[in-house]
Amino acid sequence: MKKREAIKITGGENSVRVDSRILEERIQKAVADGYRHIEVTAQGQHGIGGRLWRAHHDKVKIDVLGTSGQRLGAMGFPNTVVEAFGPASDDVGWLNAGAQIIVHGNATNGAANAMAQGKVYIDGDVGARAMTMTKHNPRFEPPELWVFGKAGDSFAEFMAGGIAVVCGAGAEKDKNVLGYRPCVGMVGGKIFFRGEQEYCSAQDVQLVKNLPDEEWGWLQENLKIFLQAIGKKYLFEQLAARRADWQLLLARKPFEKPVREVRPLTIYRKEVWENELGKGGLIGDLTSLDRTPIGLITTGTLRRYVPSWENGKYLPPCQANCPTGIPVQKRWELIRNGKMQEAVNLALEYTPFPATVCGYLCPNLCMQNCTRHLMNMESVDVALLGKASLHAEAPAPLPPTGRKIAVIGGGAAGLSVAWQLRLRGHEVAIVENRKRLGGKITEAIPASRIPSEVVAHEIARIAKSIRHINLNAALHKEKFRKLKNENDFIVIAAGASQPRQLNVPGMEKAFTALDFLRQSKQGCAKVGEKVVIIGAGNVGCDAASEAYRLGAKSVILVDVQKPASFGAERKQAEAAGARFLWPRFTKAITARGVELTSGEILLADTVIVAVGDMPDLSFLPEEIATERGFVLVDENYATSDPQVYAIGDAVRPGLLTDAIGAGRIASRTIDDILKGASRTYDKLPPIDYHKVKLEYFDPRIGEFADTSSCAANCASCGACRDCGMCEEICPQKAISRQPQPAGGFTYVADSERCIGCGFCVGACPTGVWELAENEPLE
Amino acid sequence: MEPMGCLAPSELSVKDLPWQIHWSKDKCTLCGHCTAVCPVRAIELGVHRKRALTVPLNLGEKPGNLFSVFHGIDQRTDPAHACVGCGMCTLVCPNGAIIPVHTDEIDKLRFHVNVNGEARRRGGRRNSSDSLLDKIKFVRISMLTDPALDAGRHEFELRTLLGRVLPPEEMLRVSRENGWMPPVREIYPLIIGGMSFGALSPSMWEGLQLGVSYLNEEMNMPVRISTGEGGCPPRLLKSRFLQYVILQIASGYFGWDEIIHNLPLMKEDPCAIEIKYGQGAKPGDGGLLMWYKVNKLIAAIRGVPQGINLPSPPTHQTKYSIEEAVAKMIQSMSMAWGFRVPVYPKISATSTAMAVLNNLTRNPYAAGLAIDGEDGGTGAAYHVSMNSMGHPIASNLRDAYLTLVKIGKQNELPLLAGGGFGKNGNLAANAAALIMLGASGVQTGKYIMQAAAGCLGSESDRCNICNIGLCPKGITSQDPRLDRRLDPEKVAQRLVDVFLSFDTELKKIVAPLGRSTSLPIGMSDALGIADADAAKRLNINYVL
Repeated sequence: MKKREAIKITGGENSVRVDSRILEERIQKAVADGYRHIEVTAQGQHGIGGRLWRAHHDKVKIDVLGTSGQRLGAMGFPNTVVEAFGPASDDVGWLNAGAQIIVHGNATNGAANAMAQGKVYIDGDVGARAMTMTKHNPRFEPPELWVFGKAGDSFAEFMAGGIAVVCGAGAEKDKNVLGYRPCVGMVGGKIFFRGEQEYCSAQDVQLVKNLPDEEWGWLQENLKIFLQAIGKKYLFEQLAARRADWQLLLARKPFEKPVREVRPLTIYRKEVWENELGKGGLIGDLTSLDRTPIGLITTGTLRRYVPSWENGKYLPPCQANCPTGIPVQKRWELIRNGKMQEAVNLALEYTPFPATVCGYLCPNLCMQNCTRHLMNMESVDVALLGKASLHAEAPAPLPPTGRKIAVIGGGAAGLSVAWQLRLRGHEVAIVENRKRLGGKITEAIPASRIPSEVVAHEIARIAKSIRHINLNAALHKEKFRKLKNENDFIVIAAGASQPRQLNVPGMEKAFTALDFLRQSKQGCAKVGEKVVIIGAGNVGCDAASEAYRLGAKSVILVDVQKPASFGAERKQAEAAGARFLWPRFTKAITARGVELTSGEILLADTVIVAVGDMPDLSFLPEEIATERGFVLVDENYATSDPQVYAIGDAVRPGLLTDAIGAGRIASRTIDDILKGASRTYDKLPPIDYHKVKLEYFDPRIGEFADTSSCAANCASCGACRDCGMCEEICPQKAISRQPQPAGGFTYVADSERCIGCGFCVGACPTGVWELAENEPLE
Repeated sequence: MEPMGCLAPSELSVKDLPWQIHWSKDKCTLCGHCTAVCPVRAIELGVHRKRALTVPLNLGEKPGNLFSVFHGIDQRTDPAHACVGCGMCTLVCPNGAIIPVHTDEIDKLRFHVNVNGEARRRGGRRNSSDSLLDKIKFVRISMLTDPALDAGRHEFELRTLLGRVLPPEEMLRVSRENGWMPPVREIYPLIIGGMSFGALSPSMWEGLQLGVSYLNEEMNMPVRISTGEGGCPPRLLKSRFLQYVILQIASGYFGWDEIIHNLPLMKEDPCAIEIKYGQGAKPGDGGLLMWYKVNKLIAAIRGVPQGINLPSPPTHQTKYSIEEAVAKMIQSMSMAWGFRVPVYPKISATSTAMAVLNNLTRNPYAAGLAIDGEDGGTGAAYHVSMNSMGHPIASNLRDAYLTLVKIGKQNELPLLAGGGFGKNGNLAANAAALIMLGASGVQTGKYIMQAAAGCLGSESDRCNICNIGLCPKGITSQDPRLDRRLDPEKVAQRLVDVFLSFDTELKKIVAPLGRSTSLPIGMSDALGIADADAAKRLNINYVL
């Protein structure tokens, strides 16, 4: 296309302003038609001089006369030069893509906003938000904005590239030649300015006061071009006179952003906080405790919990439940330690009947309460140990004290108290109205329950140590008074030797169980084929077993309530074939048998009444109190007469072990009084079963072969087995075993290593480790 | 004896508990850290027996039993030692072998915690994650209708006024006549609500105070903190830091004789006096600092002997009516500082709040009203009070604000709102919602405990043992063994972090509204909610 001369396009026609759309069409058409120099007389039209790509590589010059509108030269191409001969409105050079735009006057807000290439020369001031959001595309030269005067507020906001030069002409006295808050969010490019600028966003830009040679050189060179373009070349010398007038703002790169300069808290605390409040801060004057931070896992006094080895602080359940108070667990321990003889001997310190009672006749409350039951495991078999104690050796008695005690009754209770008092050195006399010692053991308990030689052996062992045994010695009030005068103390252990009678017609036709058993024992009892026993307790069961032994074909036991019998007696009776009926109420005993209130008649050749026995207290002086036929005693078995004690069935019906235990307690009370001691016998509390760990034992044992197997399987509740589990489980290796000078040992936890985790407590098989809260610090 | 497996009604299994400890035998090294750190001793070392049968192939020989024993971490099941889910075990486990996991159903423990007839007491929160404030959106985005602002770049003045603001003509008159001008403080709108020295550990309390003073002096943020009821260390009373402190007085009046003794020694007036009548978390329930928390230090600050229970009754003893109660207290407290300090009451959100507000509008000395909603937290309360007593803050605050609007005093009497905002972590959004519903400022405690000190509580009944002095983070414990786990300096640093980020977030919300010079208090046209009933009740936009 042929190049043409300049063309004039006017923004007004017939005194009417041409619409921006029409003016744009005309300018574009002129370029398309080959015009390369266009003079536009503008009347505020939008976007004049932009987008003139139709000229291809040809230069296009647009002169703008009149009033240019907004966005002069917007989206300008590199081939374009726009020259406005007057001021420009908002957003001159908006999104400029390469045009050179010269404004001979001020430009309002938004000059060069979003400019990416090209140059915008302003011969005057610019309004707010000039050079904002500009960029530098590396494919092209950076864009430039040159301002002869000064810039308005918020200059170069979000500027991301390009170069701005603000000459500050006429603003030499201004404090802020770049206006209020320039460069906020500026991330790229640079700004040269001449004059003062008090505030700029230090977060985003850094100020270079002494221009480097290279920058100064570029500025001088390009300042000439700018001044030439705006026709003020003559001012070059003046503007460039002092290099020191010029400063440079450079966008900080992300890693150059200054860290906000604040006093660290640590320093603040030390220099300000404590300076104002005093050492130790808010409460430094109120506490002397160390308040420095600590970790979560602490030792020593900072532990929350402290373990302690509480060996023997609690009774094992076996011992706690033995009325005699035999340290059963201790005996197993001795066996574990290979001290079998000591284990059996130990029993004699507590009972004269370790074999007879523990081995045969006792229901073994110790084992009924064995911890092992907690996990349905068989308790260890103390009867084995009892039987093994037949040949235990009696401890040597203490030296004679010369004190005298008379014991009335040579049964289990009487022999127990006599045995104990003798061991303590006192002189004991037994007064027994029957012809032999042993009471019910020898008189009434069926021979099937215990070999007679065992009883004989143990009674002989007792008899050997007690010098004064008066058998067949009937007692009455007068003789009782005499005994009282002759002795320091009297212990009534007369038992319950009078069978209770039933208040029904025909009672005289029946045997009492006690009489029946005594006769049976002496070999002179007889029974018919059909036997009915009224009263189905353990004595009734014994009678039933004996009746079968003596030839009965059927034995029926009746009771008014569910029979109270249990243990070996019940089992033996059931095994022999006895039947139990309840509730049954006896109306009469007839020649045919037992007539019940229901009208039923239980046919019987022999009727035995087993409804309990009462003590025979005919010898007792009136001043000694009784209650319902039994002697009244306190917790130490003293009667209302302080010189007289009473124990066993004379006080209340009970097991053999109850009688033996009562003998122990009465004896030690009397001994204390005689020796002027006032010892207290606080019974230790029983251990909490759940502290004992049964998981260490074989749960499948049904029957124990021997005492050593029992000893091994005893959980040793509350008594250290010295197994070393705690030493090993402790994660801190804080626990150690320490031998004691006097023998024995303790386990201790080193507080400087211990963290209070409680593993020792959790792992201890015997439950002797305890964990307690640490002492409060203040 | 009680055989194994014997049942009592309250015999629970691990399955019945709210939290189950998952322990890995494979990973555990038996280091003891978990049992040492567990606050309630919910776990212990257990002994276990393993049994295996040895069976020869082809059954050629008799099979045999092979027993072995191993040790592991067991969970206890009695209510007193039920796991509280705090997760301290997980925190200290070097091998990741242990973690408490919340049950997937309603636990059975809740039916058995009342052993001996003792109703459950606990600390913490309501344990309901439901939040109306979270549902409120800011629907007015003023891109073109107002000057659009950029929260990151533009300058904001996020400040509020605490104190009675006189109407202009009145102010002119007072000024002309040299009369009494009610004291007004220009403060940051996010206030740290009252948590007492005693309820909080010394480290926590000092950490918060240190952080507040740092925010004021180094960050130029006029943040204020209420002392809670429990006195104030004399050193703080005598320091310039007192100006950042709102002294609280409540029904127990603990520590107030010490405060009075220090009046002549004060360099600065406190920011304000808050008279606590009720706590949103447990309205109608008093406070009780258990005797074991009352050690030498607490006793000194509260002015009581050591080792006694300290009850703050639910009510003030000598106040019988609104008129009397409020007037009497505001007068006395104003008088103590020569009418130079703003004095305002704080009440639980309640359906009767308008009566209190109406009374305050007529009391020239009332500096504002703080309303505390049901979702707040507390150190100790009855479970039932915490869960079922109280009034939500949003409608109560809104009613209060609209009441003020009706009588034309919305710019005169500031309302402070609190109680559970930020409960799900949305502190700034919830705060902005309250402000736009009409609050001049907001008070928070629980969020601060979580963010500044790492409180382990959640809305799922996790931990919640603030009341028994065993706080595993040392936030609410007076036992130095626990308290010292918390470093006051780090608490202060976290507090600073919280306020700086809150500030940014609040700006992000208010900038698009075109507000930069004043808080958008009561600017409810900016609020919307996708719940027609709530929109109607709060008089805000219903948006879908």
